[in-house]
Amino acid sequence: MFIHNFKYTLKALFRNKMLIFWTYLFPIILGTFFNLAFSNIENSEKLEIIKIAIVENDKLKSNTIFQEAFETLSDEENEDRLFSTQYVSEEEAKQLLQNNEIIGYMILEEEPKIIIQSSGINETILKYVTEEIMQNTKMINELAENEIQAEIAIGNISIDYHKIYQNVRETIQQEEANIKNIAKSNLSYTMIEFYTLIAMSCLYGGILGMVAINQKLANMSDNGKRVSIAPTKKGKVVLSSLLAGYIAQIIGLAILFAYTILVLKVDFGTNLPLILLLGIVGSLAGLTMGLAIGTVVKANEGLKTGILISVTMLGSFLSGMMGITMKYIIDKNLPILNQINPANMITDGFYALYYYDTLDRFYFNLVSLLLFSGIMLIISYTSLRRQKYDSI
Amino acid sequence: MDKIIQIKNLTKQYKDLKAIDNLTMEVRKEEILGLLGPNGSGKSTTINCILSLLNFEQGEIKIFGKEMKPDSYDIKAKIGMVFQEVAVLEELTVQENMDYFCGLYIKDKKTRQQYINEAIELVGLEEFRKFYPKQLSGGLLRRLNIACGIAHKPELIFLDEPTVAVDPQSRNHILDGIQKLRDRGATIVYTTHYMEEVEIICDRVIILDKGKVLASGTTDELKELAKIEEKITVEVNNLQPQYLEKIKKFESVDKVEYHGNILLITYQKGKNNMLDLMDYLKKENIKYNKIYSERPTLNDVFLELTGKELRD
Repeated sequence: MFIHNFKYTLKALFRNKMLIFWTYLFPIILGTFFNLAFSNIENSEKLEIIKIAIVENDKLKSNTIFQEAFETLSDEENEDRLFSTQYVSEEEAKQLLQNNEIIGYMILEEEPKIIIQSSGINETILKYVTEEIMQNTKMINELAENEIQAEIAIGNISIDYHKIYQNVRETIQQEEANIKNIAKSNLSYTMIEFYTLIAMSCLYGGILGMVAINQKLANMSDNGKRVSIAPTKKGKVVLSSLLAGYIAQIIGLAILFAYTILVLKVDFGTNLPLILLLGIVGSLAGLTMGLAIGTVVKANEGLKTGILISVTMLGSFLSGMMGITMKYIIDKNLPILNQINPANMITDGFYALYYYDTLDRFYFNLVSLLLFSGIMLIISYTSLRRQKYDSI
Repeated sequence: MDKIIQIKNLTKQYKDLKAIDNLTMEVRKEEILGLLGPNGSGKSTTINCILSLLNFEQGEIKIFGKEMKPDSYDIKAKIGMVFQEVAVLEELTVQENMDYFCGLYIKDKKTRQQYINEAIELVGLEEFRKFYPKQLSGGLLRRLNIACGIAHKPELIFLDEPTVAVDPQSRNHILDGIQKLRDRGATIVYTTHYMEEVEIICDRVIILDKGKVLASGTTDELKELAKIEEKITVEVNNLQPQYLEKIKKFESVDKVEYHGNILLITYQKGKNNMLDLMDYLKKENIKYNKIYSERPTLNDVFLELTGKELRD
């Protein structure tokens, strides 16, 4: 029965033109559009070094991490350098900005302050890099403090400052390596568009799961009533239908990858197995989100599809599909939104693979997606476990 | 086993509305039982409760002598259901739809194909095997809906208004098919608000309204419940009021109505009503075009029991 239901569910999904459009064709059309629209911009901006200024003050002098980070990113000997940095007074910085000689400047106070005149990709990069350095600084300070507290807690009066210094230094070196990577990779924002496109495709795949399940539950469709009165275990029907939805989704994703890599010549870097792993886990998140919307929302299939498409589009928008600035704004002002946004988890996972040597951030996103899928499954289960309904 | 379904004191409530109110009924082996009632009378809800799709507040339902539960797979294997709404997969052909739904019951491919062929023949869809549902007319689609519900040769079949919005040719085909299924040994529960269909195919009828059983029995037994026994219609022009008054005074006449050129006389019990009326018309030299007599219908019974028409 499992294979019988799986076979016909897969057949029905592949013959559903509306589904095939939204899950297979729409991402390809959008990807082609991105490629046409952004490839010229990307090429023209690829080698540009961003001119900035940093206000010299006491705070900056006492903050080694900030100093070293910007020096690294502005190192003239590094051909992949990101910034051309001038160290000036605040008045001079204002003047430079007014004369359009720089795109913005940074003043380090309690928190770093970025002053820019307009918003664009270069301004976003300056903001993003400063934010990254700030977060690293906080992490290093906390690390040092924890080390000292740990020494005090075990009653060590003669604290080994040298050891603590070594640990912190190692962390700083690691972060410097990451920052160098940011410079090296040129922060291709077109890549972000493709990452969000794949994220969107993964989540759109949820429509397949939702439709497959809708046809099998008595409270969702007339076909569901027919299936429910048959002598078949509900668990088997649901699982085989979901598997069919998932397989259809993965095939769609594979086509999209093949199209973007072979036709659009998008470079996804060297970590293709991990990229595929993220795509597969991302699709699982999409599938379970579709399942949850399908089982919890009491509406017709068209409305549910509309809800799923809207949620996916909004999630993709917030994670930077229409411009990386939005991702930055959300990360900075409402980080919780991106932490629960599956589109951002997928986008950020790809981003982490592309920009970082370490895989911590990638795995964090991967685990977040699995957690998200788990929560969606629990929500769906409460609705699915019912065998009889109050009304149908 | 004589009683295939036994329902005792079934009550189903939607918030403040009692959809089924303390319903007790039974379905006997190899009969076609008609559940007759207007829209909203509780016919479909009763079936959904029997099939264990709906929760209910109170009562007991037994099928084949066993309590019906969502995991009563042995009972479910013997049941077929034809829903009021067409329940087929748009993306699958006629043959594939039947194979899919029949496959939920019959594992063996060869047996399944044989059953499918028989069902397709029964509903007359032989030429449409490769058609998709959207390529079928409304009547053919209804036939496919029926075929999907009965292909696995169930012993107990529920048909929930299977002829709604169906052309006369398809309707006759469907009604013939249902009788053939009964003749093959199936027990059938047939819900409708078309009293003509009930009179044609049902062995026994239960009249429902507001979730309650109003009456049950064979069509003849139910008609006995009607106060009237005969209705005579006469096409006659310019009938003078004095004649109407005289007809009203005839023995066992219940009501006389005269609209346009149609004279409708309703009789309670009584014999030779038609002959007596014709003698009177001849005696008074009243010319008429047509005259015919009708027995009371189930609609008359329903009207008498509830004060409203079946299709209200």
